[in-house]
Amino acid sequence: MLKINDVYAKAGDKEILKGLSLEVKPGEVHAIMGPNGAGKSTLGNLLAGMPHVEATQGSVDFLGKDLLDLEPEERAAEGVFLAFQYPVEIPGVNNMYFLRTALNAQRKYRGEEPMDSAQFLRMVKQKIKDMNMRDDLLKRPVNVGFSGGEKKRNEVFQMGVLEPKLAILDETDSGLDIDALKIVSDGVNQLRSPDRSFIIITHYQRLLDHIEPDFVHVLADGKIVKSGTKKLALELEEQGYGWLNQ
Amino acid sequence: MAGLINNWLEQAEQQNSAEPAWLQNKRQQAFSQLESLQDPNRKLEFWRYADVGRLTQVIDAGTESRPESALPSGNEEHDLVVRITDSGFELSAQCPDWLVIKNINELDEELWADLSFDQETVVNLANVVLFDTGVCIEISKTAKPVSILIDYQFAESNKWQYLRNQIQLAEGVHAKITERLHSGRLNVVNLFQVANQTELLRMQDFILSSTEQLVSFNQFDLNSEASVTNMSQHLGGALQHHLHRVNFNGQQAKYTSGSINKSYNNNNIVDLIEVNHHHKNNQSEVTHRSIAKDKSQIFNNAKAMVAPGADQSEIEQDLKNILLSEDAKIFSKPELEVYADEVVAAHGSTIGALDEQSLFYLQSRGIAIEQAREIMIESFEQEAIVC
Ligand SMILES: Nc1ncnc2c1ncn2[C@@H]1O[C@H](COP(=O)(O)OP(=O)(O)OP(=O)(O)O)[C@@H](O)[C@H]1O
Ligand SMILES: [Mg+2]
Repeated sequence: MLKINDVYAKAGDKEILKGLSLEVKPGEVHAIMGPNGAGKSTLGNLLAGMPHVEATQGSVDFLGKDLLDLEPEERAAEGVFLAFQYPVEIPGVNNMYFLRTALNAQRKYRGEEPMDSAQFLRMVKQKIKDMNMRDDLLKRPVNVGFSGGEKKRNEVFQMGVLEPKLAILDETDSGLDIDALKIVSDGVNQLRSPDRSFIIITHYQRLLDHIEPDFVHVLADGKIVKSGTKKLALELEEQGYGWLNQ
Repeated sequence: MAGLINNWLEQAEQQNSAEPAWLQNKRQQAFSQLESLQDPNRKLEFWRYADVGRLTQVIDAGTESRPESALPSGNEEHDLVVRITDSGFELSAQCPDWLVIKNINELDEELWADLSFDQETVVNLANVVLFDTGVCIEISKTAKPVSILIDYQFAESNKWQYLRNQIQLAEGVHAKITERLHSGRLNVVNLFQVANQTELLRMQDFILSSTEQLVSFNQFDLNSEASVTNMSQHLGGALQHHLHRVNFNGQQAKYTSGSINKSYNNNNIVDLIEVNHHHKNNQSEVTHRSIAKDKSQIFNNAKAMVAPGADQSEIEQDLKNILLSEDAKIFSKPELEVYADEVVAAHGSTIGALDEQSLFYLQSRGIAIEQAREIMIESFEQEAIVC
């Protein structure tokens, strides 16, 4: 599904990713852990196409396409979704309107019929129920005045509506209370399927108690320095990242 | 000597004057004042950020791409449409007995109001000498809530039209008055006299092509407990120059203003709002949202003057601006001139590009960059929609 091959990338003027390789197959869940400033968000941003994050070397193949060659909106329509570490507030734009516009833009790109507002409403209502979300957030402008946890839940809700093929969750568990953590992980687990993959960036192995990963990687100083199973996350929790410098 | 003032004076001399002596007298006074002033120029505060030369030029159209209206379509129901044309005005329906609409030239002498013009407002002063059309609308105490559209439709769009409208709202009236021009060259003076406890919603909806010009002067005189909400939309135009002057003549009145200015191509738009808190306990809120594209230029300001003793005045000025290209320019100026002791005032002004992070957020969900920009612009404009 996703093949990142020896990528070097800059954020602004600073070289952050330094020879990163990672392969994600359909249906797999990969957890990425690592110290602050290691380049985890930069990796997510690079895949989503954020301005000022630029690959200088290497390649990223997504379902047979050169991902780095696509506009951010094209990547989304191809099935890439990034749940942001810091979702932005967009005053004056209603959440529902935003989501329907996004979904229909993706459908149009894929040559599918747009969803009318009645169909959309029905679908969203069902998702709200399935994902145990609060519907009052949807009537408000995108993320405006949302608490940290509400923003994260909104990201997961968007993921549920847009049904991507590859979802990258950047610290979606940070700032969540115990119930919200459960709601968010249930949301992810419901979406798990043989043809959908996840990259989950997190600092805490507790999320991985809820979402069972196939692989755990340690990203440090711009590359993956260690890979393993869920056990690796437990070890990291105990030992921290001190061993990296030895 | 050629020049704008001389042109105006010459034009005035050619006008036939079957008018009552008192009006001829008013014109004569304005004429003499004009003679003593200079042509509008860049040294004037009100004209510093607009190309004065465009008052005389006829500008080349170039490629037209008119901006989209931000307001709900202007075709919603009005109780009455006043269509002002080259030959006077027409009404879409008969006036009820509490509503009188007359040609401005038939105004009663006691209803005439002298407006105070000076060098800064010399172009508006020219209107006093030259206006030959417009209406006087009187809505009396017994009126039902009413919505009136003043629609300008002139056959000859290359000729400057000089108009004066005077709107008198009696105590307790609820009225909505929309002024609309979607093509033409206009110099208009509007005077709104708003009595105690009267509620006026006024909309100014001007959409011009890049070859057209418009100058407007709008004065609102508010008595006690009056409430005026003014919503302006100014799109396009070789030149649009608007001055709103608000006078609080009583207490506990409120003026709320929202302006959307959008320019493209080589447009110049000036939108000035001056609120005079002559007395205590009045409240004004001015919101500007301006968006400039291509090589266009916008100047918006909000000025509040609070007279000595006009305590408990509340003032809010919120000016935000977006530049959509490197060559576009915006000048934005909130101003407070306070001579009273106890005043609550908040003001701010920002100029920037569309927020890159927000645009990327929309894109990352599948929305193409052009549509993402439109969504952001729309949401930006929403903040100025006060009606
Ligand atoms: N646009 C930018 N310009 C310059 N430096 C940047 C830019 N974006 C990120 N960086 C820097 O790149 C480094 C990696 O940042 P990144 O956000 O990828 O870290 P992270 O692994 O996600 O950390 P955290 O765990 O704290 O979220 C940091 O030192 C950061 O300051
Ligand atoms: Mg991060």
